[in-house]
Amino acid sequence: MPVSAIRTVAKAQNGVGAFILQCKRLDFHYCDWAGSSRGMNAFIKSSLPKFAKRNPQIEITVSPRPNKHPVIIGHYVNGKQKEICVKNMTNELVLGKVELLRDTNGEKDKRVNKPVTSINESVRGIWDPFHGAKIKI
Amino acid sequence: MPAMAAPMIAVFALQFEGCAYQPPAGDQTCLGYLDGCRTQSRWQTTAAAPTELVIEEPLLQDPAETPLASRPFRPRGKVSKEQLPSPRTAEADKSAKLAALRSRLSLHQRFPLQTLARTLVHPSADPNPAFNNASLSMLGSNLLGYYTTEYLLSHYPRLPMPVMFAAVEAYIGPRALATVASEWGIEAAAEPGGEVDPGLLQFRRLRSGEDPPSPAKRKGPYKWNITTTHKILQSDEFGSATRPPAAQELARLPIPLEEAAQSFVRALIGGLHLHLGAPLVKRFFRDHFLSRHLDLSTLFDFRTPTRDLSRLCAREGFEAPVARLISETGRLSRHPVFVVGVYSGKDKLGEGAGSSLDESRFRAAAAALKGWYLYRPLEVTVPSSTEGGLNATRWKPNMIDCGEVIV
Repeated sequence: MPVSAIRTVAKAQNGVGAFILQCKRLDFHYCDWAGSSRGMNAFIKSSLPKFAKRNPQIEITVSPRPNKHPVIIGHYVNGKQKEICVKNMTNELVLGKVELLRDTNGEKDKRVNKPVTSINESVRGIWDPFHGAKIKI
Repeated sequence: MPAMAAPMIAVFALQFEGCAYQPPAGDQTCLGYLDGCRTQSRWQTTAAAPTELVIEEPLLQDPAETPLASRPFRPRGKVSKEQLPSPRTAEADKSAKLAALRSRLSLHQRFPLQTLARTLVHPSADPNPAFNNASLSMLGSNLLGYYTTEYLLSHYPRLPMPVMFAAVEAYIGPRALATVASEWGIEAAAEPGGEVDPGLLQFRRLRSGEDPPSPAKRKGPYKWNITTTHKILQSDEFGSATRPPAAQELARLPIPLEEAAQSFVRALIGGLHLHLGAPLVKRFFRDHFLSRHLDLSTLFDFRTPTRDLSRLCAREGFEAPVARLISETGRLSRHPVFVVGVYSGKDKLGEGAGSSLDESRFRAAAAALKGWYLYRPLEVTVPSSTEGGLNATRWKPNMIDCGEVIV
Protein backbone atom coordinates (compact mmCIF):
# COMPACT_ATOMS: atom_id res chain seq x y z
CA MET A 1 0.00 0.00 0.00
CA PRO A 2 1.89 3.09 -1.16
CA VAL A 3 -0.32 5.61 0.60
CA SER A 4 -2.86 5.10 3.35
CA ALA A 5 -5.11 7.71 4.91
CA ILE A 6 -5.74 9.12 8.36
CA ARG A 7 -9.41 9.23 9.37
CA THR A 8 -10.56 12.50 10.90
CA VAL A 9 -13.66 14.66 11.12
CA ALA A 10 -13.96 18.04 9.40
CA LYS A 11 -14.07 20.93 11.84
CA ALA A 12 -17.07 23.20 12.07
CA GLN A 13 -16.65 26.88 11.28
CA ASN A 14 -19.85 28.45 12.50
CA GLY A 15 -20.73 31.43 10.36
CA VAL A 16 -18.54 30.52 7.37
CA GLY A 17 -21.37 28.72 5.57
CA ALA A 18 -24.37 28.60 7.82
CA PHE A 19 -24.70 30.36 11.12
CA ILE A 20 -26.24 28.50 14.03
CA LEU A 21 -27.30 30.68 16.92
CA GLN A 22 -25.71 29.08 19.96
CA CYS A 23 -28.54 29.94 22.34
CA LYS A 24 -31.24 27.34 21.85
CA ARG A 25 -33.60 27.96 24.74
CA LEU A 26 -34.43 30.74 27.17
CA ASP A 27 -36.41 30.00 30.33
CA PHE A 28 -38.13 32.90 32.07
CA HIS A 29 -39.13 32.39 35.69
CA TYR A 30 -41.18 35.06 37.44
CA CYS A 31 -43.27 35.56 40.57
CA ASP A 32 -46.69 37.18 40.51
CA TRP A 33 -46.57 38.40 44.05
CA ALA A 34 -43.08 39.63 44.85
CA GLY A 35 -41.99 43.17 44.02
CA SER A 36 -38.61 42.10 42.67
CA SER A 37 -40.41 40.56 39.69
CA ARG A 38 -42.21 43.76 38.69
CA GLY A 39 -39.82 44.60 35.85
CA MET A 40 -39.68 40.99 34.71
CA ASN A 41 -43.48 40.76 34.60
CA ALA A 42 -43.64 43.97 32.58
CA PHE A 43 -41.01 42.54 30.24
CA ILE A 44 -42.93 39.30 29.78
CA LYS A 45 -46.11 41.20 29.00
CA SER A 46 -44.76 43.90 26.72
CA SER A 47 -41.38 42.96 25.22
CA LEU A 48 -41.13 39.18 25.24
CA PRO A 49 -43.62 38.50 22.40
CA LYS A 50 -41.70 40.93 20.17
CA PHE A 51 -38.39 39.42 21.20
CA ALA A 52 -39.69 35.91 20.49
CA LYS A 53 -40.91 36.96 17.06
CA ARG A 54 -37.57 38.54 16.20
CA ASN A 55 -35.64 35.47 17.38
CA PRO A 56 -37.52 32.40 16.16
CA GLN A 57 -34.40 30.22 16.60
CA ILE A 58 -34.81 30.35 20.34
CA GLU A 59 -37.33 28.24 22.15
CA ILE A 60 -38.91 30.33 24.88
CA THR A 61 -40.59 28.98 27.97
CA VAL A 62 -42.24 31.05 30.67
CA SER A 63 -43.08 29.61 34.03
CA PRO A 64 -43.89 31.05 37.44
CA ARG A 65 -41.61 30.39 40.36
CA PRO A 66 -43.51 31.69 43.35
CA ASN A 67 -41.69 33.45 46.22
CA LYS A 68 -38.39 33.52 44.39
CA HIS A 69 -36.51 36.23 42.55
CA PRO A 70 -37.06 36.31 38.78
CA VAL A 71 -34.42 34.51 36.76
CA ILE A 72 -33.60 33.98 33.10
CA ILE A 73 -31.84 30.77 32.11
CA GLY A 74 -30.21 30.34 28.71
CA HIS A 75 -29.49 26.86 27.34
CA TYR A 76 -26.79 26.54 24.72
CA VAL A 77 -25.84 24.22 21.89
CA ASN A 78 -22.69 23.13 23.71
CA GLY A 79 -24.81 21.76 26.55
CA LYS A 80 -23.99 24.50 29.03
CA GLN A 81 -26.46 26.89 30.61
CA LYS A 82 -26.21 30.43 31.94
CA GLU A 83 -28.47 31.97 34.53
CA ILE A 84 -29.03 35.64 35.26
CA CYS A 85 -31.07 36.85 38.21
CA VAL A 86 -33.05 39.92 37.16
CA LYS A 87 -34.46 40.98 40.53
CA ASN A 88 -35.58 44.64 40.82
CA MET A 89 -34.64 45.34 37.21
CA THR A 90 -36.75 47.43 34.88
CA ASN A 91 -38.17 46.23 31.60
CA GLU A 92 -35.26 47.68 29.58
CA LEU A 93 -32.60 46.26 31.86
CA VAL A 94 -34.19 42.82 31.59
CA LEU A 95 -34.18 43.13 27.81
CA GLY A 96 -30.48 43.93 27.96
CA LYS A 97 -29.82 40.78 29.99
CA VAL A 98 -31.93 38.69 27.60
CA GLU A 99 -29.94 39.97 24.63
CA LEU A 100 -26.73 39.23 26.49
CA LEU A 101 -27.87 35.64 27.02
CA ARG A 102 -28.95 35.37 23.38
CA ASP A 103 -25.61 36.58 22.03
CA THR A 104 -23.24 34.46 24.11
CA ASN A 105 -22.15 31.02 23.04
CA GLY A 106 -22.50 29.40 26.43
CA GLU A 107 -18.80 29.02 27.09
CA LYS A 108 -17.09 30.54 30.08
CA ASP A 109 -15.62 33.99 29.50
CA LYS A 110 -11.97 33.70 28.64
CA ARG A 111 -9.19 36.14 28.02
CA VAL A 112 -8.25 36.65 24.39
CA ASN A 113 -4.61 37.66 24.06
CA LYS A 114 -3.96 37.18 20.37
CA PRO A 115 -5.42 39.56 17.78
CA VAL A 116 -6.17 36.72 15.34
CA THR A 117 -7.15 33.15 16.07
CA SER A 118 -7.37 30.94 13.00
CA ILE A 119 -7.32 27.31 12.01
CA ASN A 120 -5.99 28.26 8.58
CA GLU A 121 -2.30 28.15 7.81
CA SER A 122 -0.49 31.46 7.59
CA VAL A 123 -0.25 32.65 3.97
CA ARG A 124 3.27 33.99 4.40
CA GLY A 125 4.57 30.98 6.27
CA ILE A 126 6.84 31.02 9.26
CA TRP A 127 10.20 32.76 8.94
CA ASP A 128 13.19 30.49 9.00
CA PRO A 129 16.88 31.24 8.64
CA PHE A 130 17.45 28.78 5.80
CA HIS A 131 15.64 30.61 3.05
CA GLY A 132 15.88 34.08 1.53
CA ALA A 133 18.89 36.38 1.49
CA LYS A 134 21.83 35.11 3.46
CA ILE A 135 23.38 37.43 6.02
CA LYS A 136 27.10 37.82 5.38
CA ILE A 137 29.19 38.48 8.45
CA MET B 1 -48.63 21.62 -1.34
CA PRO B 2 -51.29 23.22 0.86
CA ALA B 3 -50.54 26.67 2.20
CA MET B 4 -49.24 26.43 5.74
CA ALA B 5 -49.47 29.10 8.37
CA ALA B 6 -46.30 29.94 10.26
CA PRO B 7 -46.39 28.30 13.68
CA MET B 8 -46.77 30.48 16.73
CA ILE B 9 -43.81 30.06 18.99
CA ALA B 10 -44.12 33.14 21.11
CA VAL B 11 -45.47 33.12 24.62
CA PHE B 12 -48.73 31.32 25.10
CA ALA B 13 -51.57 33.46 26.39
CA LEU B 14 -52.48 30.86 28.97
CA GLN B 15 -49.18 31.45 30.67
CA PHE B 16 -50.31 34.88 31.77
CA GLU B 17 -53.65 33.81 33.17
CA GLY B 18 -52.87 32.30 36.49
CA CYS B 19 -50.21 30.82 38.65
CA ALA B 20 -50.71 27.29 37.33
CA TYR B 21 -47.30 25.72 36.84
CA GLN B 22 -46.34 25.39 33.22
CA PRO B 23 -43.44 22.99 32.87
CA PRO B 24 -40.73 23.78 30.34
CA ALA B 25 -41.28 22.13 27.00
CA GLY B 26 -38.59 19.51 27.56
CA ASP B 27 -39.96 18.46 30.92
CA GLN B 28 -41.27 14.94 30.45
CA THR B 29 -41.34 14.06 34.08
CA CYS B 30 -44.27 16.31 34.90
CA LEU B 31 -47.54 14.51 34.50
CA GLY B 32 -49.43 17.77 33.98
CA TYR B 33 -47.74 17.92 30.64
CA LEU B 34 -49.68 14.96 29.33
CA ASP B 35 -53.25 15.75 28.43
CA GLY B 36 -55.97 13.15 28.54
CA CYS B 37 -56.70 10.37 26.12
CA ARG B 38 -57.92 11.57 22.79
CA THR B 39 -59.27 9.55 19.93
CA GLN B 40 -57.28 10.42 16.89
CA SER B 41 -55.91 8.34 14.13
CA ARG B 42 -52.28 8.95 13.37
CA TRP B 43 -51.59 10.28 9.94
CA GLN B 44 -48.21 10.86 8.57
CA THR B 45 -46.54 11.00 5.22
CA THR B 46 -43.66 12.94 3.87
CA ALA B 47 -46.14 15.47 2.46
CA ALA B 48 -47.65 18.12 4.64
CA ALA B 49 -51.00 16.94 5.96
CA PRO B 50 -53.88 19.14 7.08
CA THR B 51 -54.64 18.28 10.66
CA GLU B 52 -58.40 17.86 10.22
CA LEU B 53 -57.91 15.15 7.63
CA VAL B 54 -58.25 11.75 9.22
CA ILE B 55 -57.16 8.77 7.18
CA GLU B 56 -56.94 5.20 8.27
CA GLU B 57 -53.42 3.89 8.36
CA PRO B 58 -52.66 1.75 5.36
CA LEU B 59 -52.19 -1.87 6.26
CA LEU B 60 -48.96 -2.94 4.65
CA GLN B 61 -49.29 -6.67 5.08
CA ASP B 62 -51.96 -9.07 6.10
CA PRO B 63 -51.46 -9.54 9.86
CA ALA B 64 -52.34 -13.20 9.58
CA GLU B 65 -49.38 -13.86 7.31
CA THR B 66 -46.71 -12.10 9.32
CA PRO B 67 -45.45 -13.67 12.50
CA LEU B 68 -46.19 -11.73 15.68
CA ALA B 69 -42.59 -10.85 16.35
CA SER B 70 -42.00 -9.14 13.03
CA ARG B 71 -45.35 -7.33 12.87
CA PRO B 72 -44.95 -3.64 13.69
CA PHE B 73 -46.66 -2.50 16.85
CA ARG B 74 -49.65 -0.45 15.73
CA PRO B 75 -52.36 0.24 18.29
CA ARG B 76 -55.83 0.73 16.88
CA GLY B 77 -58.99 2.35 18.10
CA LYS B 78 -58.85 4.48 21.22
CA VAL B 79 -55.23 4.87 22.20
CA SER B 80 -53.66 7.23 24.62
CA LYS B 81 -50.49 9.11 23.82
CA GLU B 82 -48.53 6.96 26.22
CA GLN B 83 -49.36 3.83 24.24
CA LEU B 84 -48.01 5.22 20.99
CA PRO B 85 -44.38 4.57 20.13
CA SER B 86 -43.80 8.09 18.77
CA PRO B 87 -45.67 11.41 19.00
CA ARG B 88 -48.71 12.10 16.88
CA THR B 89 -48.25 14.07 13.69
CA ALA B 90 -50.65 16.75 14.87
CA GLU B 91 -48.39 17.50 17.83
CA ALA B 92 -45.67 18.81 15.51
CA ASP B 93 -47.38 22.15 14.92
CA LYS B 94 -47.58 22.77 18.65
CA SER B 95 -43.96 22.02 19.41
CA ALA B 96 -41.86 25.11 20.10
CA LYS B 97 -38.72 22.98 19.89
CA LEU B 98 -39.44 21.92 16.31
CA ALA B 99 -40.22 25.44 15.16
CA ALA B 100 -37.08 26.73 16.83
CA LEU B 101 -35.02 23.96 15.20
CA ARG B 102 -36.41 24.84 11.78
CA SER B 103 -35.49 28.48 12.27
CA ARG B 104 -32.09 27.66 13.70
CA LEU B 105 -31.20 25.67 10.59
CA SER B 106 -32.66 28.46 8.40
CA LEU B 107 -34.94 25.97 6.71
CA HIS B 108 -37.64 27.28 4.42
CA GLN B 109 -41.12 27.79 5.88
CA ARG B 110 -42.37 25.42 3.20
CA PHE B 111 -40.59 22.57 4.96
CA PRO B 112 -43.37 21.19 7.17
CA LEU B 113 -42.80 20.60 10.85
CA GLN B 114 -44.49 17.21 10.51
CA THR B 115 -41.65 15.95 8.32
CA LEU B 116 -39.08 17.52 10.61
CA ALA B 117 -40.71 15.65 13.49
CA ARG B 118 -40.58 12.42 11.51
CA THR B 119 -36.86 12.81 10.81
CA LEU B 120 -36.31 12.76 14.57
CA VAL B 121 -37.90 9.33 15.07
CA HIS B 122 -35.40 6.49 14.79
CA PRO B 123 -36.60 2.96 13.93
CA SER B 124 -35.49 1.80 17.38
CA ALA B 125 -38.25 4.00 18.83
CA ASP B 126 -40.98 3.34 16.28
CA PRO B 127 -40.51 0.29 14.06
CA ASN B 128 -43.41 1.29 11.80
CA PRO B 129 -41.83 2.46 8.52
CA ALA B 130 -44.67 4.93 7.98
CA PHE B 131 -43.66 6.90 11.07
CA ASN B 132 -39.89 6.50 11.46
CA ASN B 133 -37.08 8.10 9.52
CA ALA B 134 -35.61 4.96 7.93
CA SER B 135 -36.75 5.72 4.38
CA LEU B 136 -35.82 9.40 4.51
CA SER B 137 -32.50 8.46 6.04
CA MET B 138 -31.68 6.10 3.20
CA LEU B 139 -32.47 8.78 0.62
CA GLY B 140 -30.47 11.39 2.52
CA SER B 141 -27.51 9.08 2.86
CA ASN B 142 -27.35 8.59 -0.90
CA LEU B 143 -27.69 12.32 -1.55
CA LEU B 144 -24.96 13.19 0.94
CA GLY B 145 -22.66 10.59 -0.63
CA TYR B 146 -23.42 11.88 -4.13
CA TYR B 147 -22.78 15.55 -3.38
CA THR B 148 -19.63 14.92 -1.35
CA THR B 149 -17.98 12.50 -3.76
CA GLU B 150 -18.77 14.60 -6.82
CA TYR B 151 -17.30 17.66 -5.10
CA LEU B 152 -14.11 15.85 -4.11
CA LEU B 153 -13.69 13.91 -7.36
CA SER B 154 -14.05 16.95 -9.57
CA HIS B 155 -12.10 19.39 -7.39
CA TYR B 156 -9.25 17.01 -6.54
CA PRO B 157 -9.01 14.68 -9.56
CA ARG B 158 -5.66 13.19 -8.51
CA LEU B 159 -6.58 12.28 -4.94
CA PRO B 160 -5.57 8.65 -4.14
CA MET B 161 -8.54 6.41 -3.35
CA PRO B 162 -7.72 5.78 0.35
CA VAL B 163 -7.45 9.53 0.90
CA MET B 164 -10.65 10.10 -1.07
CA PHE B 165 -12.50 7.65 1.21
CA ALA B 166 -11.05 9.33 4.30
CA ALA B 167 -12.06 12.78 3.00
CA VAL B 168 -15.62 11.64 2.32
CA GLU B 169 -15.75 10.17 5.81
CA ALA B 170 -14.42 13.39 7.31
CA TYR B 171 -17.31 15.31 5.75
CA ILE B 172 -20.23 12.90 6.03
CA GLY B 173 -18.97 9.89 7.95
CA PRO B 174 -20.85 8.54 10.97
CA ARG B 175 -18.78 10.54 13.45
CA ALA B 176 -19.04 13.70 11.36
CA LEU B 177 -22.84 13.43 11.15
CA ALA B 178 -23.17 12.85 14.88
CA THR B 179 -21.01 15.94 15.46
CA VAL B 180 -23.14 17.96 13.05
CA ALA B 181 -26.31 16.93 14.87
CA SER B 182 -24.90 17.96 18.22
CA GLU B 183 -23.77 21.28 16.74
CA TRP B 184 -27.31 21.87 15.56
CA GLY B 185 -28.46 21.62 19.16
CA ILE B 186 -30.42 18.37 18.89
CA GLU B 187 -31.65 17.10 22.24
CA ALA B 188 -32.58 13.48 22.81
CA ALA B 189 -35.59 12.20 24.70
CA ALA B 190 -34.84 10.06 27.72
CA GLU B 191 -37.26 7.45 26.47
CA PRO B 192 -39.29 7.48 23.25
CA GLY B 193 -43.06 7.58 23.39
CA GLY B 194 -46.18 9.29 22.16
CA GLU B 195 -46.23 11.81 24.99
CA VAL B 196 -42.73 13.12 24.32
CA ASP B 197 -42.19 16.51 22.70
CA PRO B 198 -41.78 15.82 18.95
CA GLY B 199 -38.81 18.19 18.85
CA LEU B 200 -36.66 15.69 20.72
CA LEU B 201 -34.64 12.94 19.08
CA GLN B 202 -36.42 9.66 19.78
CA PHE B 203 -34.62 6.36 20.01
CA ARG B 204 -34.23 3.51 22.44
CA ARG B 205 -31.19 4.33 24.51
CA LEU B 206 -28.31 2.00 25.12
CA ARG B 207 -27.46 2.02 28.81
CA SER B 208 -24.00 3.33 29.53
CA GLY B 209 -21.41 0.62 29.77
CA GLU B 210 -23.50 -1.90 27.83
CA ASP B 211 -22.50 -3.35 24.51
CA PRO B 212 -24.88 -2.82 21.61
CA PRO B 213 -26.87 -6.01 20.84
CA SER B 214 -25.35 -8.14 18.10
CA PRO B 215 -27.87 -7.19 15.35
CA ALA B 216 -26.96 -3.52 15.92
CA LYS B 217 -23.26 -4.12 15.39
CA ARG B 218 -21.51 -3.75 12.08
CA LYS B 219 -21.58 -6.90 10.01
CA GLY B 220 -18.41 -8.80 9.18
CA PRO B 221 -16.38 -8.14 6.05
CA TYR B 222 -18.10 -8.38 2.69
CA LYS B 223 -15.20 -10.43 1.50
CA TRP B 224 -11.89 -11.43 3.02
CA ASN B 225 -9.73 -10.21 0.16
CA ILE B 226 -10.67 -6.54 -0.03
CA THR B 227 -9.08 -4.58 -2.84
CA THR B 228 -9.45 -0.92 -3.73
CA THR B 229 -11.61 -1.90 -6.69
CA HIS B 230 -13.87 -3.84 -4.36
CA LYS B 231 -14.10 -0.84 -2.06
CA ILE B 232 -15.11 1.41 -4.96
CA LEU B 233 -17.60 -0.97 -6.53
CA GLN B 234 -19.22 -2.80 -3.67
CA SER B 235 -18.56 -1.05 -0.41
CA ASP B 236 -20.16 2.16 0.88
CA GLU B 237 -18.89 5.66 0.09
CA PHE B 238 -16.26 5.43 2.86
CA GLY B 239 -14.71 2.24 1.51
CA SER B 240 -15.47 0.38 4.72
CA ALA B 241 -14.75 -3.29 4.98
CA THR B 242 -17.79 -3.93 7.18
CA ARG B 243 -21.47 -3.20 6.65
CA PRO B 244 -23.65 -1.19 9.04
CA PRO B 245 -26.92 -2.87 10.08
CA ALA B 246 -30.01 -2.04 8.03
CA ALA B 247 -32.58 0.24 9.65
CA GLN B 248 -35.16 -2.54 9.97
CA GLU B 249 -32.75 -4.66 11.97
CA LEU B 250 -32.53 -1.93 14.62
CA ALA B 251 -36.26 -1.95 15.39
CA ARG B 252 -36.82 -1.84 19.16
CA LEU B 253 -33.15 -2.43 19.91
CA PRO B 254 -31.16 -0.14 22.20
CA ILE B 255 -28.67 1.92 20.22
CA PRO B 256 -26.12 4.61 21.04
CA LEU B 257 -27.02 8.28 20.68
CA GLU B 258 -24.59 8.76 17.77
CA GLU B 259 -26.44 6.21 15.66
CA ALA B 260 -29.77 8.02 16.08
CA ALA B 261 -28.18 11.44 15.53
CA GLN B 262 -26.66 10.28 12.24
CA SER B 263 -29.97 8.93 11.03
CA PHE B 264 -31.59 12.27 11.86
CA VAL B 265 -29.11 14.28 9.79
CA ARG B 266 -29.45 11.91 6.84
CA ALA B 267 -33.24 11.92 7.10
CA LEU B 268 -33.30 15.71 7.22
CA ILE B 269 -31.40 15.83 3.91
CA GLY B 270 -33.84 13.30 2.45
CA GLY B 271 -36.85 15.24 3.69
CA LEU B 272 -35.47 18.52 2.36
CA HIS B 273 -34.94 16.91 -1.02
CA LEU B 274 -38.52 15.69 -1.19
CA HIS B 275 -40.10 18.95 -0.05
CA LEU B 276 -37.84 21.69 -1.36
CA GLY B 277 -36.03 20.05 -4.25
CA ALA B 278 -32.42 19.53 -5.21
CA PRO B 279 -31.21 23.18 -5.52
CA LEU B 280 -32.09 24.02 -1.94
CA VAL B 281 -30.59 20.77 -0.66
CA LYS B 282 -27.39 21.58 -2.52
CA ARG B 283 -27.29 25.01 -0.90
CA PHE B 284 -27.97 23.46 2.50
CA PHE B 285 -25.21 20.93 1.89
CA ARG B 286 -22.78 23.67 0.85
CA ASP B 287 -23.59 25.80 3.90
CA HIS B 288 -23.57 23.06 6.52
CA PHE B 289 -21.15 20.44 5.24
CA LEU B 290 -18.74 21.77 2.63
CA SER B 291 -18.16 24.88 4.73
CA ARG B 292 -16.52 22.73 7.38
CA HIS B 293 -12.76 22.93 7.57
CA LEU B 294 -10.78 19.96 6.32
CA ASP B 295 -7.12 20.18 5.44
CA LEU B 296 -6.73 17.40 2.88
CA SER B 297 -2.94 17.50 3.08
CA THR B 298 -3.09 16.17 6.65
CA LEU B 299 -4.90 13.00 5.56
CA PHE B 300 -1.95 11.46 3.72
CA ASP B 301 0.08 8.76 5.39
CA PHE B 302 2.99 7.74 3.16
CA ARG B 303 5.00 4.59 3.80
CA THR B 304 7.76 5.00 1.23
CA PRO B 305 7.42 8.48 -0.28
CA THR B 306 10.77 8.40 -2.05
CA ARG B 307 9.92 5.20 -3.93
CA ASP B 308 6.42 6.51 -4.79
CA LEU B 309 7.91 9.71 -6.13
CA SER B 310 10.42 7.97 -8.33
CA ARG B 311 7.69 5.68 -9.71
CA LEU B 312 5.50 8.72 -10.33
CA CYS B 313 8.28 10.54 -12.17
CA ALA B 314 8.93 7.44 -14.29
CA ARG B 315 5.21 7.16 -15.11
CA GLU B 316 4.82 10.79 -16.05
CA GLY B 317 8.05 10.91 -18.05
CA PHE B 318 9.87 13.33 -15.76
CA GLU B 319 13.52 12.97 -15.01
CA ALA B 320 14.27 10.76 -12.00
CA PRO B 321 14.02 12.75 -8.76
CA VAL B 322 17.22 13.72 -7.03
CA ALA B 323 17.45 14.97 -3.45
CA ARG B 324 19.85 17.87 -2.87
CA LEU B 325 20.78 19.64 0.31
CA ILE B 326 19.61 23.25 0.21
CA SER B 327 20.89 24.37 3.58
CA GLU B 328 21.87 23.00 6.94
CA THR B 329 22.84 24.06 10.40
CA GLY B 330 24.43 22.37 13.40
CA ARG B 331 25.36 19.10 11.73
CA LEU B 332 27.48 18.08 14.71
CA SER B 333 25.20 19.59 17.35
CA ARG B 334 22.40 18.05 19.36
CA HIS B 335 19.68 19.45 17.12
CA PRO B 336 20.78 19.76 13.53
CA VAL B 337 18.44 21.03 10.82
CA PHE B 338 18.71 20.03 7.20
CA VAL B 339 16.64 21.50 4.39
CA VAL B 340 16.46 19.14 1.45
CA GLY B 341 14.84 19.72 -1.92
CA VAL B 342 13.76 17.04 -4.38
CA TYR B 343 14.59 17.99 -7.95
CA SER B 344 13.59 16.50 -11.25
CA GLY B 345 16.11 17.96 -13.67
CA LYS B 346 16.00 21.69 -12.95
CA ASP B 347 12.51 21.70 -11.41
CA LYS B 348 12.17 21.63 -7.66
CA LEU B 349 9.29 19.25 -6.87
CA GLY B 350 9.27 19.58 -3.10
CA GLU B 351 11.19 20.63 -0.07
CA GLY B 352 11.37 19.40 3.50
CA ALA B 353 13.19 20.18 6.71
CA GLY B 354 14.22 17.58 9.26
CA SER B 355 16.75 16.77 11.89
CA SER B 356 18.49 14.13 9.80
CA LEU B 357 19.30 13.93 6.14
CA ASP B 358 16.97 10.96 5.62
CA GLU B 359 14.11 12.53 7.49
CA SER B 360 14.29 15.73 5.46
CA ARG B 361 14.58 13.72 2.23
CA PHE B 362 11.43 11.77 3.09
CA ARG B 363 9.63 14.97 3.98
CA ALA B 364 10.68 16.55 0.73
CA ALA B 365 9.42 13.55 -1.24
CA ALA B 366 6.11 13.57 0.67
CA ALA B 367 5.73 17.30 -0.04
CA ALA B 368 6.34 16.65 -3.73
CA LEU B 369 3.75 13.85 -3.80
CA LYS B 370 1.21 16.03 -2.00
CA GLY B 371 1.85 18.77 -4.52
CA TRP B 372 0.96 16.31 -7.28
CA TYR B 373 -2.00 14.59 -5.62
CA LEU B 374 -3.63 17.78 -4.32
CA TYR B 375 -3.75 19.43 -7.73
CA ARG B 376 -6.92 21.46 -8.09
CA PRO B 377 -8.24 22.50 -11.53
CA LEU B 378 -9.29 26.13 -11.85
CA GLU B 379 -12.64 25.59 -13.52
CA VAL B 380 -14.83 22.72 -12.42
CA THR B 381 -18.36 21.68 -13.34
CA VAL B 382 -19.84 19.27 -10.85
CA PRO B 383 -22.31 16.82 -12.45
CA SER B 384 -25.22 17.85 -10.21
CA SER B 385 -24.93 21.49 -11.35
CA THR B 386 -26.15 20.45 -14.79
CA GLU B 387 -29.37 19.03 -13.35
CA GLY B 388 -32.50 21.12 -13.02
CA GLY B 389 -34.11 23.47 -15.51
CA LEU B 390 -33.19 27.15 -15.27
CA ASN B 391 -30.21 27.18 -12.96
CA ALA B 392 -28.41 24.39 -14.78
CA THR B 393 -24.96 25.14 -16.14
CA ARG B 394 -23.51 23.72 -19.34
CA TRP B 395 -21.43 20.64 -18.84
CA LYS B 396 -17.75 21.15 -19.43
CA PRO B 397 -15.77 17.95 -19.08
CA ASN B 398 -13.63 17.80 -15.99
CA MET B 399 -10.08 16.59 -15.78
CA ILE B 400 -9.80 12.88 -15.09
CA ASP B 401 -6.52 11.56 -13.80
CA CYS B 402 -5.22 8.06 -14.35
CA GLY B 403 -4.97 7.61 -10.60
CA GLU B 404 -2.42 7.17 -7.89
CA VAL B 405 0.92 5.61 -8.55
CA ILE B 406 1.01 1.83 -8.17
CA VAL B 407 4.11 0.44 -6.57
